[in-house]
Amino acid sequence: MTLFDFARGPGMFWATTIMVIGIVWRLAGAVLLARHKDRSTPRGDNRVAAGLRAVLMRSVPPHELEKHITFQHLTGYAWHIGWFVTFLFFVPHMPFIESILGFGWPGLPNQAIVMLAAITLAILLLLLVRRIVHPVLKVISDFDDYVSTLLACAPLVTGIVAFAHLFPSHHETMIGLHILSVEALMVWLPFGKIFHCVTGLPLRFQIGAAFARRGVKA
Amino acid sequence: MSATIAATEERAALERIAEGVARLASSAPEVDLPADERVRRAKRVFIEKTDARVALDLESCLHCGMCAEACHFYEGTGQGRYAPIHKLKLLRKVYRRELGPFRLIQRLLTRDLTVAELEQWQELVFDSCTECGRCDMICPVGVHLSRGVHITRQALTAAGLAPAELRALDAEQKSTGAILGAGVEKLRSALEELRSQGIEAPLDKPQAEYLLLTTASDLLIYHRSLAATARIMNHLGLDWTFASSGFEAANSGAVSGDETAQRQATQRVVDAALACGAKFVVVPECGHAYPALRWEGPNQVGRAFPFQVLAISELIGRELESGRLRLKPLGPGKRVTFHDPCKFGRKGGVIDEPRKALAALEVDLRETESKGTTNYCCGGGGGVFFIGRAAPLRNAAFNIKRKQFDATGADSVVTSCGSCRMNFAVGAQRNNWNVPVESLVELVADGLAAPGPATDRGSVV
Repeated sequence: MTLFDFARGPGMFWATTIMVIGIVWRLAGAVLLARHKDRSTPRGDNRVAAGLRAVLMRSVPPHELEKHITFQHLTGYAWHIGWFVTFLFFVPHMPFIESILGFGWPGLPNQAIVMLAAITLAILLLLLVRRIVHPVLKVISDFDDYVSTLLACAPLVTGIVAFAHLFPSHHETMIGLHILSVEALMVWLPFGKIFHCVTGLPLRFQIGAAFARRGVKA
Repeated sequence: MSATIAATEERAALERIAEGVARLASSAPEVDLPADERVRRAKRVFIEKTDARVALDLESCLHCGMCAEACHFYEGTGQGRYAPIHKLKLLRKVYRRELGPFRLIQRLLTRDLTVAELEQWQELVFDSCTECGRCDMICPVGVHLSRGVHITRQALTAAGLAPAELRALDAEQKSTGAILGAGVEKLRSALEELRSQGIEAPLDKPQAEYLLLTTASDLLIYHRSLAATARIMNHLGLDWTFASSGFEAANSGAVSGDETAQRQATQRVVDAALACGAKFVVVPECGHAYPALRWEGPNQVGRAFPFQVLAISELIGRELESGRLRLKPLGPGKRVTFHDPCKFGRKGGVIDEPRKALAALEVDLRETESKGTTNYCCGGGGGVFFIGRAAPLRNAAFNIKRKQFDATGADSVVTSCGSCRMNFAVGAQRNNWNVPVESLVELVADGLAAPGPATDRGSVV
């Protein structure tokens, strides 16, 4: 079995299995803990609406807060959008997407996607350097932060190398490495901070509803 | 008494309080515990307080650091260790090792909590955090950071590692029900002073619809606020009383994380309210007292209250809205800005009501850039005012606030919290800042118009 075959076959199967079981295990381990009862009388009864509002509005904080985090916000949005556009609109990815969903959509020009991937990679590396030197980030960062960033970079690096045919005699192996890099990200998802893709929106709802109980828009 | 004489007396009283605060640490009870017992007690609190909501917080952090950008202590010092999420590190560590879904792996990969870590975190969760909750407003995934800080405070307090000043306050309130020596005799003499001014100030009425609380800052410094509050209650024609068995609104345990002290202080007020059959308990201008009673109180005593808890500013706002309270304009020439006390505003939900009062007084309200839910803290909340070594941190936070005030061009600052006023007074003195800080209830009392019509109060709240 070649590396390519392993990546497309057992590798993908086990990565998917570990990811799904891991997500369920981690989520259940948190949300199935007991919940402390709050006996205070809530102010108003708009907690669902307030939770949904927080889900949306946390993306656009008030100006007086936003002006301190503009760089993080712009770079954060930029690399997430770049990463997912690269994944979802790169023409060579389409057969893979169609094999899962049963349908596909038109891709974007390859050169544009490669350029986008390179920009996304550059932003991720910039954020990695920032994490090392920033007075707050260097204090709060741990193994997970660096591994997660590198694993987010890996598919971009391997994808660009594969597309550019930098190793023409090992092209299939490079594609295999590219798939494996995605699988590594999938395996890491339940264990690292990338898990926020599962809990982020529910947590926004939770804090919006909690503050609404007190009559505060959060 | 003229306003000038009263202001001079307030300054003198504040200096006496400051001297008393400086001696607090020396009166703190010693907590002599072996290191492993401190760790055991802290871990027990971390575990008990971590429910599913807290767990979801701890599973979701991105380590983006944005919370630091909302923190006045980070903004004022540039020190990365003051990032709010860093303050939750011990809570997360215990959660991951003891409760988390991957605890078996975490126990293999990480070291257990140590007493050295607990000692190191004292500065982070007490000196450099007022639990103002501004960081709660910025987190992109919605981590409730101030809740995690408070749990860590509770853990450190259980381990005997709260700052000495807060331990002293807890010990005093547990023993006498009061803080800073403002006991029942101070209350009686303060009420006598009000009566000598012709202000009705009932104490221990057997039955009353409203139980009014007061607080050490009003009894010891801001007598005018106490008088103004009583005048407003009288003006509204309310059936009210103070109770000598439960008059102190301040709750030191709610600040330090000493749940025994918190529960006892809450129970005193609850018992006093039940004894006089109060339907409403009114919290004076004492920020932390409001969430301590309104939101945490029922959980402390284990049942919902048979009465409603109202902040005095909340009562004023609602009475204005109902038309039962009318105010004379103080004039648009009076340019003021309003400081939202974090515990009334962001932590309490009393944001619009003070502004209704200022609108009724027809003053020229000039809002700071950060207001309401994003308001900057005064820098001394959450007990930080009492921690001597935190003075440089308080000052750094005060200067952020001062710049916000100065940018409004207002001639004075109005607020509804005695602790914020004390912190501003100290900061103003240290930084030669001469903008007066006024009390909302005092302004409202100055603007009381002809008595409102006698109406059924059943629909007030």
